[in-house]
Amino acid sequence: MKEVELDCLGEACPVPLVKAQKKIEELEVGDVLIVQIDHSCAMKNLPEWAREAGHNVEIEEIDDGEWEVIIEKVK
Amino acid sequence: MKVFDNLKKNHYYKIWFKDAWPYLTGAVLLSVFQIITLATTGNPWGVSGVLANWGAWLYQAVGGTVDKWYYFASEGAQRTLENGFLKDPGTMRNLGIILGALFSALIASGFKIKKIKSWKQVVAAILGGLLMGYGARIGFGCNIGALYSGIASLSLSGWVYGAFLFIGAIIGSKLLVKYFM
Repeated sequence: MKEVELDCLGEACPVPLVKAQKKIEELEVGDVLIVQIDHSCAMKNLPEWAREAGHNVEIEEIDDGEWEVIIEKVK
Repeated sequence: MKVFDNLKKNHYYKIWFKDAWPYLTGAVLLSVFQIITLATTGNPWGVSGVLANWGAWLYQAVGGTVDKWYYFASEGAQRTLENGFLKDPGTMRNLGIILGALFSALIASGFKIKKIKSWKQVVAAILGGLLMGYGARIGFGCNIGALYSGIASLSLSGWVYGAFLFIGAIIGSKLLVKYFM
């Protein structure tokens, strides 16, 4: 089980979503992907996609306008 | 401070200011305000046309004239320009959008000055802005004035605009994936 960070700070939608979708394909089941974002709309579409794909998702507020979307690959 | 810590945990602060509102709430509010806008100003909501007027006022402020420009030739356009920046409902609305957006980001403690990641972003932003601005004026409307207000006014042009907007969005997404991934 490894943890991978994906730096999407300064990236506008839908770039963080597409990058996360590509990255999660490279990971194994049980791995964790941490997507760093500072575009608030990614806070909506990233978790929405990940939950729909069946992964475990948590959102953490790091700083003003900065979040980490933590996705555990389930299948 | 303790006050702010308590506020952060407050349920109503969370649902009103912190979390994004549902799409349905946004849609209903936009429709209500569209009706109010039409009733009070006599025109449906538009954004980019106002920006063209801002450009004209800016040009006039440095000594230029736009009297002979075809775009500003109509009586209505001339009247708007003569009334001035502060007496234009569209100007007030656009300023309201900017200030409202700032307020919502600040009160959700989501305000952040983002760093520019690459020169590619700068080029794409400037190029995209120019194309959108030019397109919006040559098409007499942006996705607000031509699409949203067009459809709300039961005009066929709004639907035609929507169809081509969709095609443009597909091409745009392909370019985005090609150059930014």
